[in-house]
Amino acid sequence: MINRQLVRHIDWVLIGILLLNSIIGVAFIYSCSHYLPGNYYLKQIFWIFISLVALFLFLFFDYHFLADYSYLMYGLLISTLCGILVFGKLVAGTKSWIRFPFFQIQPSEITKVVVILVLARYFSKRQKELLSFTDLIISGVLFLLPVFLIALQPDLGTALSFLPIYLGALILGGINKKFILFLLIFSMLFGFVGWKYFLKDYQRTRLTTLVSPNKDPLGAGYHIIQSKIAIGSGGVKGKGYKKGTQSQLRFLPARHTDFIFSVIGEEFGFIGVIAVILAYALFVFRLFHSAFMSRDRVGIYIVFMVSMMITCQFFINVLMTIGFLPIAGIPLPLISYGGSSLLANYLAVSLVLNVKMRRFVNV
Amino acid sequence: MNHNSIYEDLTIVLKRVKNTQILFKVLFVLLVVSFWKIQILEYQKYWKKSEANRMREIMLSPQRGLITDRNGVIIAKNIACFKASIIKENSQDLDVSYEKISYLLNLEEDVLRKRVERFQSVPLFYPIVVKDNLTQEEISRIEARQLEFPELMIEVEPKRFYPFNTFAAHIIGYLQEISQEDIKNNKYSEKGIGDLIGKTGIEKQYESILVGKKGKVLEIVDSSGRKKGELLREEPVKGKDIRLSLDFDLQKKAEDLLDGREGAIIVLNPKTGEILAMVSYPSFDPNKFINRFSPEEWQEIASSPDFPLENRVIRGLYSPGSIFKLAMALAALDLNEITEKTSFICNGSILIYGHPFSCWYKPGHGPVNLTSAIQHSCNIYFYLLGKNLGIENIAKYAKEFGFGTKTGIDLPEEKNGLVPDPRWKEEVKKANWFPGETISVSIGQGPLLVTPLQTADFTALIANRGKPVNPHLVIQEEKNEFKTPITREIQTKIDWSSKRKLFEKVIEGMWKSVNAGGTGRLALIDGYDICGKTGSTQIISTSTIKKLGDQIIEIKTHSWFAGFAPKDNPKVVVTVLVEYGGMGGQTAAPIARQLFTLFKEKYD
Repeated sequence: MINRQLVRHIDWVLIGILLLNSIIGVAFIYSCSHYLPGNYYLKQIFWIFISLVALFLFLFFDYHFLADYSYLMYGLLISTLCGILVFGKLVAGTKSWIRFPFFQIQPSEITKVVVILVLARYFSKRQKELLSFTDLIISGVLFLLPVFLIALQPDLGTALSFLPIYLGALILGGINKKFILFLLIFSMLFGFVGWKYFLKDYQRTRLTTLVSPNKDPLGAGYHIIQSKIAIGSGGVKGKGYKKGTQSQLRFLPARHTDFIFSVIGEEFGFIGVIAVILAYALFVFRLFHSAFMSRDRVGIYIVFMVSMMITCQFFINVLMTIGFLPIAGIPLPLISYGGSSLLANYLAVSLVLNVKMRRFVNV
Repeated sequence: MNHNSIYEDLTIVLKRVKNTQILFKVLFVLLVVSFWKIQILEYQKYWKKSEANRMREIMLSPQRGLITDRNGVIIAKNIACFKASIIKENSQDLDVSYEKISYLLNLEEDVLRKRVERFQSVPLFYPIVVKDNLTQEEISRIEARQLEFPELMIEVEPKRFYPFNTFAAHIIGYLQEISQEDIKNNKYSEKGIGDLIGKTGIEKQYESILVGKKGKVLEIVDSSGRKKGELLREEPVKGKDIRLSLDFDLQKKAEDLLDGREGAIIVLNPKTGEILAMVSYPSFDPNKFINRFSPEEWQEIASSPDFPLENRVIRGLYSPGSIFKLAMALAALDLNEITEKTSFICNGSILIYGHPFSCWYKPGHGPVNLTSAIQHSCNIYFYLLGKNLGIENIAKYAKEFGFGTKTGIDLPEEKNGLVPDPRWKEEVKKANWFPGETISVSIGQGPLLVTPLQTADFTALIANRGKPVNPHLVIQEEKNEFKTPITREIQTKIDWSSKRKLFEKVIEGMWKSVNAGGTGRLALIDGYDICGKTGSTQIISTSTIKKLGDQIIEIKTHSWFAGFAPKDNPKVVVTVLVEYGGMGGQTAAPIARQLFTLFKEKYD
């Protein structure tokens, strides 16, 4: 299944940049959690190792093979998601974890990789210039089913982070202007119903706070204000590694997960922010660029959806820390603490490597 | 799927990728611009905000649960205590702070510096406790100068207090500051720097029940530490109270009786296994440990040659001496090796395997049967039993009676003791078992080692005519409420329930030992059928005694008494061990007598 020639075509530079970003993550996880019990940074290193092994193992399977079997995997994961809704135990208010003796895992994160494969498989068969209405409905159902199950857990953050994947598929598939109008109306309707009946109170306050954070500075706007103060007071050079004690930040409950970029901004200032953004930009554009080195349509779809997923999550998370987007519970891919999301992102990158190394027909 | 799609036209799709890429390039540039705005253009504004609007998180320690005796006498409670902490972040210059604060708090500058530097790894905003148990005068002195010292903070915390000082110290245990390793290992999930945790005894065993839940206050303070508002307040939740099975009066009496003599006393209820008194002497005052700052005093107590911190009841290992004869008798009866009528002649000494073994009573007891052998604690009788039974049988029955394994009492760090057999000797000592050792073991000497609690547990088993109990300190119904499982499932391999008669025969000997001029006669109370057995253990081997010759009189032995009362329907077991107490009948038995007397007065 794999031979020396394939190994030669592995994009080692991409793996290097991937690791670079992961190590940046470990450094900042250590900075803001070393005085807490739990040894988060060690756990993260452990997960990087596991994910890297998984990444290489995943390369053994030709992406065509994976795409062909994606419906089967899709079915399995949907049953798993249903299963934990019924049998799962509540952890921190959601039923999104499967517990193992030494660790726990969120199947919802892994679902992303499978959804990418399913959508790539489906859309690569549509070779017209624009998508038909039927295509839209079928793919929409394929996509919304897992998202809906995850939203029920309830884990709206993760559910939300699926959107860029589908968006990517639609961009490539091409959509009629009429469809865009339809989607807009549909999403507004959906948004209205959601706001009225589905969102929890705290989620509603988060959205209103975004518009005017100073209305309730000690309440809901608190996290946004504190995060902005932390980043702003970092200045050009920052306050130094581990010295970002701008005390406020320790009251952000998720400083080693969702708010890790605030820590970077505070401790390394504008220079650090630029450096991390640059390292990240290198990473995501190398991902996007891989689309041009794909052999076929299904490959392009895979590469593009992976790139969209990671890039959009990055933007959503960073814009959240400076108060441009509501606090959505979306981690910074590769950098935030969290094993399942790390594993999912590594597997996604593995798919890109997979497409890239099998770009020549006759191997 | 058809994989030969290489010739399809992908230009439209790739163009769309390209456009998206361009869009994201623009977004990246805009992102950098936003950070430029926040971090460079608006830096001053945010920096001022960060200075003027600091947060401070103060932990509110919960009250620990009370510990009471069975009748509600409070043995461990909480009193208010003031502590002073340094917040490094608020200090302009730490060296100056050390100098001034050491003067203010009357601490040595070095000690203060070391204390703060021990907490290198904690964030700068974290308060580090530098002095506790502040006096009123110190508090007013600090408060008067609060503005000068934004880095110094006073907090109130509940402090553990043991009103009876050394009373039941080994049972209750003590608290100490949690170690950095324990925090790193996440052993106590809710605990952080500067918190006190139970280090021994009930305080450790039931830590999770006693501890309660911390509260916290989130305050807004300005850069000089003045409070400007409160963001959040979570009240602490008091820990659950624990009621022990101890009886205050019995415990006090037992402590007084043992005062000045190293040893151990256990009084327990043989029906339930509830411990009414448990004493280990010498003792210590646990109040002295609840202090973050006087390691010298602790060191002194911990390294004292008579080990006051050791709970001898569960951690002291002693030869059981003649007490073990009871186990020998039961084993021999159960194996039909003897009946109560079997008798041997005691001439004061006997030659077995070519070695002379002597009875403690030099003139010899003459003909002895089972009852009189127990009554007078005749060695010769049991030497012969041991020879007939063999070490494998002795070890099997000793284990059956609970020796060699923990009793499973709800106290940490109980010891196993040791039941020797040939396999043990081969594995540990790398030597063969000598037949002569069997003879030593049969009167409770040799390598056989037991804890006083195991002895009490064994006595309860005899009192119950074969039904074992779990000795424990927290009253069972309440323990169930905590959902802590019983640590040991009691099980005997042999079903003794049909063999009550064997026990009656041994108990007859124990009754005579006390009531008919036997070795336990000094435990006698008129009208209270006490049954007991004495023991005196040689601390040095017989061969050494021979070498020492006449000086033997100077060497005292450990003194044991194990007994229960009344004979029928027993209500109490008393076990006494006095180190270097001499003959068991002379030292341990009278102590037991006084405890039986008090029990009778109070509960009968």
